[in-house]
Formats: sequence, C-alpha cells, structure tokens
Amino acid sequence: MIAYILRRFAIGVGVLIGISLITFLIAFAVPADPAIAVAGAKADPKTLAEIRAQLGLDQPLYRQYLRYMHRIAHGDLGRSYVRRESVTSLIAQRFPATAILAISATVCSLALGILMGLVSAARRDRLLDHTMLFISLGFVSMPVFWLGTILLIAAAFWLRALPLGGFGDWRALILPTITLTLSSAGYYSRILHTNLTEALSQDYVRTARGKGLSPIRIVVKHALANAMLPLLTLAGLDLAGLLSGVVLTETVFNWPGIGRLAYEAVFNLDIPLIMGTVLFGALLVVIANIVVDLLYAWIDPRIRLGESA
Amino acid sequence: MKALTPFGAALAILALSELTGCRGDSDGLDLPKTAKVLHLASVADVPSLDPAVGYDTSSWGFEQMIFDTLVRYSDAGVDLVPDLATQWEIAPDAKSLTFHLRRDASFTNGRAVVSGDFKYAIERVLTPSVRSKGTEYFRSIVGAEDFVAGRAKEVTGIENPDAWTIIFRLTEPDPIFVQKLAMPFAAAVPREAVDQWGNDDFSRHVIGSGPFTLKEWRSGERIVLVRNPHYFDPSWPRLDAIVQLIGVDLDLEWLKFETGELDVSAIPPAEFLRVMKTPKLKALAEHIVTLSTDYLGMNCQMKPFDDVRVRRAFNLAIRKDKASAILNGRAVPAVGILPPGLPGYDPNIDGYPYDPTKAKALLEAAGVGRDFAPTLWMRADQTEMTLGESIQQDLAEVGVHAVLKPLAWSSLLEAIRQPNTADLFSLGWEADFPDPQNFLEVLFAKKQFGANNDTFYSNPQVEKLLAEAAPVSDLSRRYQLYDQAQKLIMQDAPWVVLYHPVSYVIRQPWVHDYILNPMRPTRLERVWISAREGEQQTR
Amino acid sequence: MNGKTNLMELCGAIMIGLLAVIAIAAPLFAPYDPTRAVAASFGDPQGPSHAFLLGSDELGRDVLSRIIWGARISLIIGIAAMLVTLTIGVTIGLMSGFFGGTIDFCLMRVTDMMLAFPTLLLAMAFVTVLRPSLSTILLVIGLVSWTSIARVVRAETLSLSQRDFVRAAQALGAPSSRLIARHILPNALPIIVVMAALGTSGTLLLDAGLSFLGLGVPPPTPSWGRMIEEARIYFRTAPWLALFPGLAILYAVLGFNLLGYGYLRRRGRNTSVTMR
Repeated sequence: MIAYILRRFAIGVGVLIGISLITFLIAFAVPADPAIAVAGAKADPKTLAEIRAQLGLDQPLYRQYLRYMHRIAHGDLGRSYVRRESVTSLIAQRFPATAILAISATVCSLALGILMGLVSAARRDRLLDHTMLFISLGFVSMPVFWLGTILLIAAAFWLRALPLGGFGDWRALILPTITLTLSSAGYYSRILHTNLTEALSQDYVRTARGKGLSPIRIVVKHALANAMLPLLTLAGLDLAGLLSGVVLTETVFNWPGIGRLAYEAVFNLDIPLIMGTVLFGALLVVIANIVVDLLYAWIDPRIRLGESA
Repeated sequence: MKALTPFGAALAILALSELTGCRGDSDGLDLPKTAKVLHLASVADVPSLDPAVGYDTSSWGFEQMIFDTLVRYSDAGVDLVPDLATQWEIAPDAKSLTFHLRRDASFTNGRAVVSGDFKYAIERVLTPSVRSKGTEYFRSIVGAEDFVAGRAKEVTGIENPDAWTIIFRLTEPDPIFVQKLAMPFAAAVPREAVDQWGNDDFSRHVIGSGPFTLKEWRSGERIVLVRNPHYFDPSWPRLDAIVQLIGVDLDLEWLKFETGELDVSAIPPAEFLRVMKTPKLKALAEHIVTLSTDYLGMNCQMKPFDDVRVRRAFNLAIRKDKASAILNGRAVPAVGILPPGLPGYDPNIDGYPYDPTKAKALLEAAGVGRDFAPTLWMRADQTEMTLGESIQQDLAEVGVHAVLKPLAWSSLLEAIRQPNTADLFSLGWEADFPDPQNFLEVLFAKKQFGANNDTFYSNPQVEKLLAEAAPVSDLSRRYQLYDQAQKLIMQDAPWVVLYHPVSYVIRQPWVHDYILNPMRPTRLERVWISAREGEQQTR
Repeated sequence: MNGKTNLMELCGAIMIGLLAVIAIAAPLFAPYDPTRAVAASFGDPQGPSHAFLLGSDELGRDVLSRIIWGARISLIIGIAAMLVTLTIGVTIGLMSGFFGGTIDFCLMRVTDMMLAFPTLLLAMAFVTVLRPSLSTILLVIGLVSWTSIARVVRAETLSLSQRDFVRAAQALGAPSSRLIARHILPNALPIIVVMAALGTSGTLLLDAGLSFLGLGVPPPTPSWGRMIEEARIYFRTAPWLALFPGLAILYAVLGFNLLGYGYLRRRGRNTSVTMR
C-alpha cells in the first residue's frame, strides 16, 4: 500500500514537472519582449535593456528554466511583470472567489443531479425518463457562457434584486452558481441514472424486493451507495478542475477569480503569472487525482495488489 | 454524504463571512459623522504611490494629492500655475530655469520643504536601481547621463544656491522642460523617509507635502487618504477624506453608484447608451475630450505603403464618423494629428473627406491589385476588435481585404518597433505634455525609428521644421512652425487619423466641482460634497 | 425501447443534416453579405424587423445572414478538429491498450499531463503563440481534446485484447499491426463512431468558448461564439443579439449529442460515457 502511495506521488511530481516545462516553452515561444510588459508603452530602448538585464531575460532559456524551478522549490513563484506583486499573493487573493464559486457550484450540481437521477431511475416512468434525458442533454449542449449571459439578461429585466456581476455580497453568487449548476447537473444525473438502473437490476436487489422491502429502501440502502461512488469521484475531479478557474463563467459575471487572472496573464504575456496559475491549477488536479486513486485503492483491494488501473 | 454536513456548514459560514465582510455604517475610520468623505472605486490596486515609480493614471491621481511639484496644471486646463514654486524664470536660450519656492510648505513629518528635496527627487528618478519610467524625461539635465552611468554622485545640472531657490541647467535648449517638472516624477520627496523605509517600501509609507496624506492602504481592499491639516493653503482640501475601494470592477462600481455607495463612477459600456438616453442621468455625466489621437499607422518602408497614393487612398476610404458612432459618442472624429485642446491645435486644418471612388482610383493608379490583403495589427480588446471590423468593412468597399491581428499590448509594441514587420497597425497616442512637439517630433522624427516613430516616416523638410521649432520659446512662432510640419505630414499621410477619445464619468448630485482635466486626473482637493437628498434612483 | 431511442438518433441526424445543408448552401439562404454594413445601426443594434429578420448588429450587419454563414465555419472547425482529435486519441488508445507495459505507462502519463492542464488555458496559450487562423484553431482544439477518446479506446482495446479471437490470432503468430488493424480496430469502430459524434459536440463548444474569449477565427468571418461576446455590452438595449447565436450553437451541439447518445442507447451501452 505504501509503495502504491509513493508511486502515485512520484508520478504526480513527474506530471507537474512535465507541465512546467511545457508551459515554460510555450511562454517563451511567444515573439514578444517581456521587458515591455514591465516598462510600459513609452519606454526607451535603454530602459528596456536595463530591465531585461535585471530580470535575467538575456540568459539562455535552460538557465532561466532552472533558475525558475529552483525558486519554486523555495516557494517563490516570482513577481508578475504587469502588476509587480508576487504571483503567490495574487493567486492567494483571487483564489477564494474561485473557491467559493467552485464549491457552491459542485454542491448544487451534485444535489440537483442526484435528485434528477433518483427521480428518473426510481419512478420507471418512460415519459419522465425521456423528458429528463432531453432536458439534461439540452443543458449540456448549451455553451456555458451563453447560458450565463441569458440568465444575466433575464435578471436585468425581471429579477431586479440580483446584482449583475462582480463580487459583492452573497447575492452575487446566485447567478454564476445557477449557470454552472445547470450545465453540470445533467451529466451527474445521467451517470447516477445509469449506475442506479444497473444496480437495481442486480440479483441482490431482486432478492431484497422478493423479501418484501419497499422500493425506496431498496434504492437507498443497496443501490445508492454503489452508484454514488463513481459520481462522487467524478465530482471531486471536476471540483479540482473548477478550482483552477472557470474562465468563461468568470468572464460573463466579472467574477474576480483565478480563471480571469490566468486569462489576463496569457493576454498580457505576463510570464511569471502564466506559469504560476497553470502550475497551481495543475497541482490541484494532480492532488485530486491522487486522492481519488487512493480512495479507489482503499476500497478495491484488487487495484492495490495488481496494477490494472 | 454524511461527512459533508458539518464540512458543508463550516464552508457555508466561511463563504458567507468572506462575502459579507464587515459592512458597518461608518467606514471604519475615526472620523466624525459629519465628515465629508468621497467614495470612489477602481478595479486594480494602485500600482504605486512612490512618485518615482507610479506612472499610470491611477497612481498619478493619488500622487498628485499626496505630493507637490514646483508647478502644476490648472484645474481645468493645460496652463501651468504655481504649486510649490511661487515664480519662475526661463532663460531666453531655454537652457536654464530658475524657480523660487514658497517658504511655508512642509512635509507631514513636520520638516519644511526646501530646494534640496526636488534635487533629491529627480536624482532618485535617475537612479537605475529605482527602475523609474521617468528617467528619459530628465536625461537632458547637465550631468544626468554621468549620474545614471554611475560616474558622478550627483546631478551637477541641478543647483540649490539656497534653500528656496533651484536652478536647472540643460544640455540643449528645451522650452518645454518646465512641463516635465509638473509630472509627479519631479515632486518633492523627503530623503529621510525614503532612507527609513527603503526604495521598495516607500510606496506604502509615503510622506509628502500635498493636500492629503495616506491614512490606510489595505492591498486589494481599499486605500484611504485624509486631509493634511498642515497643507500650505488652509482653504483646501474641502474634503475630509477620500476612500477608494479596490477590486471593484466596472459593473460592480456601477451598481454601487446606483445604490449611492459611491460618489463618482465610470460608465460601463453596456449602460452608456441608456445613461445618455435618460435626461436625469445625462445631466450628471461629465466628459472631456482627451488629449489623445487614435489612428491607423502605415509603415512607410513596406510595400505598398511606401507609395503615398496608397496611404492617401486609405485616408479617403475609411469613414471616421462611423468610428465615433460605434463608440456611441465616446469619441470625436479626428481631422488632423493634434487633438483639440492641445496648444498649437489648428482648427482649420484640411483633413481627408470620405471618398471611396477617389480611393479606388488612387489604388489603381498605384498598381495595387485586388489581392491586396494587409494585416491590421492591433491590441486585443473588445473596442479595438469592433473598430477593426469596421475598418475591414470600409476597406472591403474599395477592394482591400484587411486581416485583423489582435495581440497582447506588449507584443504589439514589440512588433511595430521592428522595421519591416507591421505594415498597418492601430494605435493611440496620449499627450505627455501640452505641446505639439510631444506628438510631431516623438512620432514622426527620424531619430525615433525603433522607439515611437512606428511608421518609419521621414521627410527632410519636416525634419528641418522640427529641428527649427524645438528650441523656440516664442509660442506663436513655435506653434506656427509645428503647424507647417503637421500640414506636411498630413499630406504625406503616414497615418489615418481616426478619433480623439472622450472620457466620461458620472457623479452623484451631491458631488460638486469634480472638474475634469485633459492632462491629469481630477484634482480632488477642489471637490466638495453637499447634503445628500435621498437615494439616487438610476435603475 | 428500440423505437423511442431510435428517435434520438434520427432527430440528431436530421438536425445535423439540416445544418450541413444550410452551411453548404449559405450563399443561397443568406439574404445579405454577412460582413457588409447593410443597416444604419452603428453602435445601436436594432431588433428584428421586416428587412432584417433577426435584427442588425452594432456594425450594421444582418444577424440572420451572419448566423447562416457562421454554420459553415462552425461545422468545418467542429468536424476537422474532431478528426485531428480522433487520429491522435485513437492512435494513443490503441497503442496503450494493446501493448501495455512501458508504452502504456508513458502514454498514460502524457494523458495525465494533458488532463491536468486547464484545457481552455492551454488552447489560449497555443493560439496566442501562433497566429489565430482557421487552421491554427482547428489544430489547437484537436490537440487539447484527445484525452477522453484515448482513454475510452484504451479501455475498449484492453477488453478486446483479452477476447478469445484475438488471443487465438496472436497464438498463430500474427504481427501486432495486423492484429490491431484487422481484429481490434474494426471491433472498436462502434465506440469510435460514438466518440466522433460526441467529440464534435465537444469541439464545437470549445471553439465557441475560444471565440467568446476573442481567440477564435478572426473577423470578418462570422463566428457564433464571437457574436455572443460582441453582444455582451448591448445586453440591456439589445438582448436578442446574444440570444440567436447561442440558439444556433445549442442546435448544432444538441444535434451531435443526440446522434451520439442515441447510437449508444440503441447499442445497449450505458450512457455514462462522458466526453469531458
């Protein structure tokens, strides 16, 4: 078991290093002078040269990369070219906004998805099942930024009480959460529906029904637990993905999160910030993956002992 | 699912507290209830309050409240008025300037402001380790280059014969040098404060002599200035404090303005049309034509833009009224290079009319085929994209198929400064000083190739005029020479001038004397607040 | 059960067919040139009227014509990008599942890396580095979307490899390439077809997202995602401007989703195969 954990960690670290290398190469492949991002539009060539020397941009690429990795090992993600603040503090500033949105969206999506899945699986009504399927497919087929914009328009004209973007008080959370929830709930409900139907057709459930147990009890006690596990792990991975920033939703609602920060960084060619946000997001996903893998290994001994994942 | 409940509850509490924050009735400052406080908001944090470092609108807005310069601009205009200098003389050869200081100004640490404080401030700007963006403005002072290179310990061209006099000696005649002293780069800075905090931290612990002082700066949250009781003019400021919330973007700022939480706000593009169509709101909107020009630059060294007929054709093909309409009036169509309001502006200059037929004829005469597809290099933002598409439309009508190339700001600048890279680009230029030299020489002189002359334009006649005009102190002659230069440049048409942006803000009915200035952010010491009369209804 | 689920597939197929017809015959259907200013509505978009059935936008262009021409670009990008994705994903999935061992390990680590990267950011970074054009966009979208196909194909290959007919052929000494090409690939084809349909819905959405962020096909080519972005600042005075392009995207994506999921259902497979 320990060996398994260590293996997973080692792979995770490897993945992170690979990502850092790729991001670094992409960032420096851009044909632009980062010194201008620091110095501003009207800087003269002398000032630019001085800044380039100060930031170590005139050194060969591999050296810059090693220097960068060395600093990461000490927890220093560098300073944003454009904002002059440390990348770590910028990420820390923006992360809570994304976290709040991501968590509330995941919780609501799960809740709605489970509800929809339960309803359509337990009732066995053909029409209901198809309606749910159609609705789920409908929402999943919508671009999330369009859904958000439409909700924004609806709020502007009919629901005067809701703020139209920005990060003010709890009411500002409503629209972005609804947007993300409607987008994702469909997936969860279908997964749960499928797994539940499968679980419900198993022998032990038939036996329970034969024993005279009520359908609801059957569903909850026997089928639900089994069906929920893949759902929860998927939600966990999705959460990690959301935490690295939902650029589109954050753009529509002017939500000051990490997604927006990363987008600005790419646009301004703010290399330290690009590296920082990408690595941060990747770190979250890698951690989530390790946690999920460990969870599965703990539950399913077959995986622990053999390597068939 | 069971484990989620206590966790979920904890998270909910965390989230709610994060979001609601502490919104008490007072701003959390020790101010009396009747205090006049101006509430503002901004998206980004103020980059720096250090006058040597901060070089953007946001930083300058605050720096000019906290620090004083020798001279400054008047409230609504571009004329220079005394700040800490009561009077000054500029030598006829424009190579030396003498300033006499007032004696009753002091820093908030109690010490009087003396001439040495200005010398210290400018030497700071010229110090390489400070990485100031203002270095280039003061290189023309005698001894500045030696100081920057480390060969000298002081800038010999700045003399302090006594505590109340300061003399600047320049290496070449520069009639607009006095304008550079109106920039916060040249504000009086107390050496002992910088020594105490160090160059990097001085920004957070600024000490100046201006009408306001820094009371509180919580990064990413808010910045608070309070009135300076020791300011040399006791009748200003008329506010007790200024509170600027940070991290509030345009839509939230608007929302807060609607509820009366903010006193002044920018108008989001989505609301602009509606505001202009509502008379009550329109009356509260202030606007000013900025001293800038947005234009299309054509690289005079790249085919086919090396042919003046092609450049003139582009001028005739593009509709300028359309650009302003698309901006809903946030722009004034441009006729010439210099913006209205800039000293030296010529209201009678002949621009290019909209004449697509003539444009087509010129293109044909120049041998430009139907397969001409220039790349329009531009900044990647929404407004630029829309304007880019509008230009594409206009050019398509004369058979030119422009391809848009949106780039990040720094990439764009990098690209257009390289020769033979960007053939057609969209850019704007904002005046640093109210003088035509700041446009015509910086943007069209040969020596600015690779710097700001991105069209690589060069005309010996224009060079002669520019060289002749630069040292001239007699303003009418100076402007006359520059006007001749402008006319020649317009004939050569390296640019298609598009529009001059108009800047808008909206204020609450109880905010008065919020005067917009074309060169600088509003001087907040002039603003005053009357008693509020109920809540503002703007929805 | 068969009758109803066939309906899904049929619906999807009809929707896509209709879309393809509109895309191909765009010049016939569109009343105006989608890039020219034909209405006098600069800076002030106008609503649906007799002359302009879906209204006119801030540059005086007819919205209906733009949506019709936008179908072309969307389909081209959606399908071409899906083909790129398919090529990469199927290759990796087959090799990983069939050969196992080190190859599998390495390829799966590469897949992990791709998955850990925030997809949209990666696409943005690529597009920023390269010049945004039609070919760049579809290449980039294809490059970032192959992970789910790879995983599904890998799982399918793994299970197929264990089957008797494959084992038998192996025992007879058939070379790997032959095994893959003749035995595994044809049997994996159904799932690959499904992934192709679902994959197209994914690439369509990704393209819409990139266009929304300003990184899609450059103007003046009409692009549904960008139309929504341009409509954002007029959401108070001209809300319909954002409505119609979004409906178009919904229609296209739904069509492919119905086709894919319908096919899955008909084949009796479970519908929890996700495309994310």
